[in-house]
Amino acid sequence: MKIGSMLVDTLRSFFQKPVTQLYPFERQKTPERLRGKLHWDSSNCSGCCLCVKDCPSEAIEIITIDKQAKKFVMRYHADRCTYCGQCVKNCRFACIGMSSEDWELAAQTTAPFTIYYGEETDLEHLLERVPEPAAG
Amino acid sequence: MSTDGSLSGKRFIVPIGPQHPALKEPGHFSFTVDGEVVTDASVRLGYAHRGIEKATESRNWTQSLYLLERICGICSHVHALAYCLGVEKLAGVEVPPRAQAIRVLVAELERIHSHFLWLGVAAHEAGFDTLFMYTWRDRETVMDILETLTGNRVNYSANVLGGVKFDVMPEIGDTIRRGLEFLEGRTHHYLEVVTTDQVFLQRTRGVGVMSLEQAETLGVVGPTARASGVIRDIRVEAPYAAYADYPVQPVLAEAGDLEARFIVRIKELFESYRIIRQILDTLPVGELQTRMPRRVKAGETVSRVEAPRGELFYFIKSNGTDNPERVKVRTPTLCNMASVLVTAVGHQLADMPMILAGIDPCFSCNDRTVVVADAGGAAYNWEQIRHYGIAFYQGK
Repeated sequence: MKIGSMLVDTLRSFFQKPVTQLYPFERQKTPERLRGKLHWDSSNCSGCCLCVKDCPSEAIEIITIDKQAKKFVMRYHADRCTYCGQCVKNCRFACIGMSSEDWELAAQTTAPFTIYYGEETDLEHLLERVPEPAAG
Repeated sequence: MSTDGSLSGKRFIVPIGPQHPALKEPGHFSFTVDGEVVTDASVRLGYAHRGIEKATESRNWTQSLYLLERICGICSHVHALAYCLGVEKLAGVEVPPRAQAIRVLVAELERIHSHFLWLGVAAHEAGFDTLFMYTWRDRETVMDILETLTGNRVNYSANVLGGVKFDVMPEIGDTIRRGLEFLEGRTHHYLEVVTTDQVFLQRTRGVGVMSLEQAETLGVVGPTARASGVIRDIRVEAPYAAYADYPVQPVLAEAGDLEARFIVRIKELFESYRIIRQILDTLPVGELQTRMPRRVKAGETVSRVEAPRGELFYFIKSNGTDNPERVKVRTPTLCNMASVLVTAVGHQLADMPMILAGIDPCFSCNDRTVVVADAGGAAYNWEQIRHYGIAFYQGK
């Protein structure tokens, strides 16, 4: 039986640096496997849409520009994404990756959350043709 | 404080919750008090019902995995694990041993994080905030390990149907070992604190005593049962995943009071450290994933795992399509809730938060029942339920 069994811990802490991180002034290195923003490389995409089918939050849309020439554009909704990484696992051609650096995704408007990936020319073609998706 | 009309104001019922500073989650308790002493208690749950079971029916097997993983923010992995084990059993898929071992590894790391979290919360309810602060500081160690290993602090997404997503490299194994070494030292210290600190013991020793007979009658599960001397641990009784290869020694205590629950949970940490080290030393070599069919054979199955709080139960029914026909989840908090009402009687009102914290409750995990009285026998789909809900509240 004793009293003040945590006293030593508290006294020792007087001589230690605070554990709290001074974010955003000091940044810890993020782990290599951290699942941040999704990135898509259009060059190998076969348009199988397995990423779309298994996405639990309907965050991915693959828009076909030209099926014969395998031209696709991805519309990615970062605000719906749950960052589970299932699409990365599903993609047989390793088109999808999740960045361990790009994780500070907060924004004051919804616009930055709709992200288009694909070839420049395809994107221009798409944006002329398809109206902006409704919110939500 | 409200009076009970039947006894002309002699008996008081103190309502606590659903919103209350002592509880971080919504649950309503009515304590009948005689002075400061509680003479009767009742509970009302259901304030955090989210309709997750129904929502799985309109998602495919893989999508449902991530939805079910989000039932609990603390023990997310065991939910995904219970679901995966059930679906794999239905589909007749054999998961490689390396994947099973990694699943157990993450489950035990999660148990460490959950028990540290509980230790802090329970200490906070007792007014011992120093212990709360230090346990939560140390908990960051295991959170960092989980983030390094899986890529996220909370919803690890370690499982996929048919295996796991990632491998455990030797360098990550070293990181885990270093973290465990630090945590083991701290755990010894905390065990000493909760068993010797005189002030703290006055809040825990002899408080909320549940005898072995009571524990068996009430059907409590997990550390709450083991603190009353009941050997009830799914990892021991029905080893799943790789627990048959890494046997667990159940930690028991006889006293059945709050102190015993502290001792059981802290000693379980040592058991988790031992299992994790054993897995890292003898990780089987092989594949991480097997091929999983998109459609699961028709049938139904039951899947049980030991969550940090006790037995987690899944019933899964398939009709041979892409989507589950029915997923039923029962979390350990529901089994343990009755013990709060029984053990509360005879204690001071001020002990109630401690007795409640003693079972490590997780309210939003267990709120899962909905009764639609005037449905007329028709089965609703997800969209119809949404419209029904909107119409119901507009009509109010």
